[in-house]
Amino acid sequence: MNDVDWRQLFSQTGLYCGAAIIAVVCGFPLVWMLLTSVRPDRDILSPTPKFWSFEYHWQHYRNLFDLTDFHIYFVNSITVAGTATLLTIFVATLAAYGITRFRFGGREAIAGGMLFTYMFAPILIIVPFYILMRAGGLVNSKLGLVLAYTTFSLPFSMWLLRAFFQSIPLDLEEAAMTDGASRPKAVALVIVPLALPGVIAVSIFTFIVAWNDYLFARVLINDNELKTLPIGMDDLYNATVTDWGMMMAGGVVITIPALVFFILVQRYLIAGWGAGAVKG
Amino acid sequence: MATIAPDQVLTIPIRRRAKAARERQLPEAAWGYLLILPAVLLVLGLILYPVVYSGWLSLHNKHAYLPIETFVGFGNFATMFQDGEFWRSIRLGAIYGIGSVGLQILVGVSAALLLNETFIGRTFIRGVALFPYMVPTVVVVILMKWILNDAYGVLPYLLKAIGIGEDILWLDTGHVMLTVILISTWTFFPFVVIGTLARLQTIDPELYAAAKVDGAGVVRRFVHVTLPQLRNVLFVVILLRFMFMFTKFDVIWLLNGSSGVGYYTRTLPIYTYIKTFGQLQVGAGAAMSMFMFLMLVCFAMIYFRVFRRDEAT
Repeated sequence: MNDVDWRQLFSQTGLYCGAAIIAVVCGFPLVWMLLTSVRPDRDILSPTPKFWSFEYHWQHYRNLFDLTDFHIYFVNSITVAGTATLLTIFVATLAAYGITRFRFGGREAIAGGMLFTYMFAPILIIVPFYILMRAGGLVNSKLGLVLAYTTFSLPFSMWLLRAFFQSIPLDLEEAAMTDGASRPKAVALVIVPLALPGVIAVSIFTFIVAWNDYLFARVLINDNELKTLPIGMDDLYNATVTDWGMMMAGGVVITIPALVFFILVQRYLIAGWGAGAVKG
Repeated sequence: MATIAPDQVLTIPIRRRAKAARERQLPEAAWGYLLILPAVLLVLGLILYPVVYSGWLSLHNKHAYLPIETFVGFGNFATMFQDGEFWRSIRLGAIYGIGSVGLQILVGVSAALLLNETFIGRTFIRGVALFPYMVPTVVVVILMKWILNDAYGVLPYLLKAIGIGEDILWLDTGHVMLTVILISTWTFFPFVVIGTLARLQTIDPELYAAAKVDGAGVVRRFVHVTLPQLRNVLFVVILLRFMFMFTKFDVIWLLNGSSGVGYYTRTLPIYTYIKTFGQLQVGAGAAMSMFMFLMLVCFAMIYFRVFRRDEAT
């Protein structure tokens, strides 16, 4: 054995150790959440945490849906995040198409200005935003939340779609239009399918923004019937002596939609990053 | 200047063709404006207008619910500058921002370099590495409270088992800042991984081959080939991360709220929130938002000056 092999072996070992560390650090907390959520309380509240146990049940999930308003929050979150995602795709597609396909004064400035607002964090404007929403009667309404999430997702979404639209040759839609398709039809049937990775990246981005948001929901929503998952969950946690099993069950249920959504489209997310967000 | 190729290459023909399209379509500008109108209206109305309105509010003494509204000029700012708690919140914000961004970059770039290598199960590990970013913040915080729980938490138990971190109360006053930085790093470092990995994949392998021929070892290849190529992406990632972390509200608030322990993580965003929605002093809250906004603008300008000076674009 010569020393090149040793070096190879050494770096291979290092590589797999590193990969294992990443897997454990990123994966273990989630596995632990899952395990806790299906264990009886006796195993959860044991002074020495149990890594193996032989008793599992769905009681915490049942409690979560039967004894709390979790199902209301869940439906609210789905409604709000879904609506915001659709609205964002629609508005961002229009804007990106307008910017890439029509020439008009100030379009680069507008595109740049929009991206600039991507850096505005919600906390910077939450004060006037709240007053504005109150004046418009949008406090305690899902519409207020949908508007907030759509607006905050727009700059990034438009920028990303713009990069995708730029990469689609004009010939394609012109061909479709020569064949008798109207422009909206050409966009819907030719351009959007070609820009699908971009549309998907935008939809994950927006969905996650809306699904995750705590600040807007906390400030705009008081009515229990209208709470979304993040604030509903926070209030459940703070309400009583913490039922860890049930909390972890809630965590699993909230995480699954985001995770499934994400796993399905992971590839496109990285593609989207390469094309849009990491320009220059 | 090397930039990301696909985007650049594909932009060129469009420009040329757009001209041809212009000759055919007459009311083009009108169409363009019409199409971007909804997006512009939303951003103008719900982001830019609030920023301006915030500037106006910051000059007034306004209560959140009562109809009190008097012009006080820079009174809110004067009060703010005399408020020791305000300066403390900036200091804590800086600790949190710098600490968590530093760690995210360190962990994120290391992980991206590793995940760019070829090994069995790479796709799987790549997926797992992005998990934390996808877990909703409220879940991250409650899960970490469980994992770090001083009576039943699994992490204190494991640390005790291997003999380090004996009796650390992670969620108590003394360590809570460190804890919130670590939690933030855990959940946000995949952002750095995604950006860095996307860039690493576009580095021309011939650069490495050439460096190898020149006899450069692993370390020198990293310093002279990889790092310069990552420069642009890291420029953007660090800027964005710092902007996001300096204004981060939810992780910190969810962990401690306005509790006593929360006092030890009361960064500027938290203090702004407490002023506005806890103490109901909208004017004072707006003044703090404005100050935060100006700080970020200054930071971005200095950042661009210092790190972008030598570049063409």
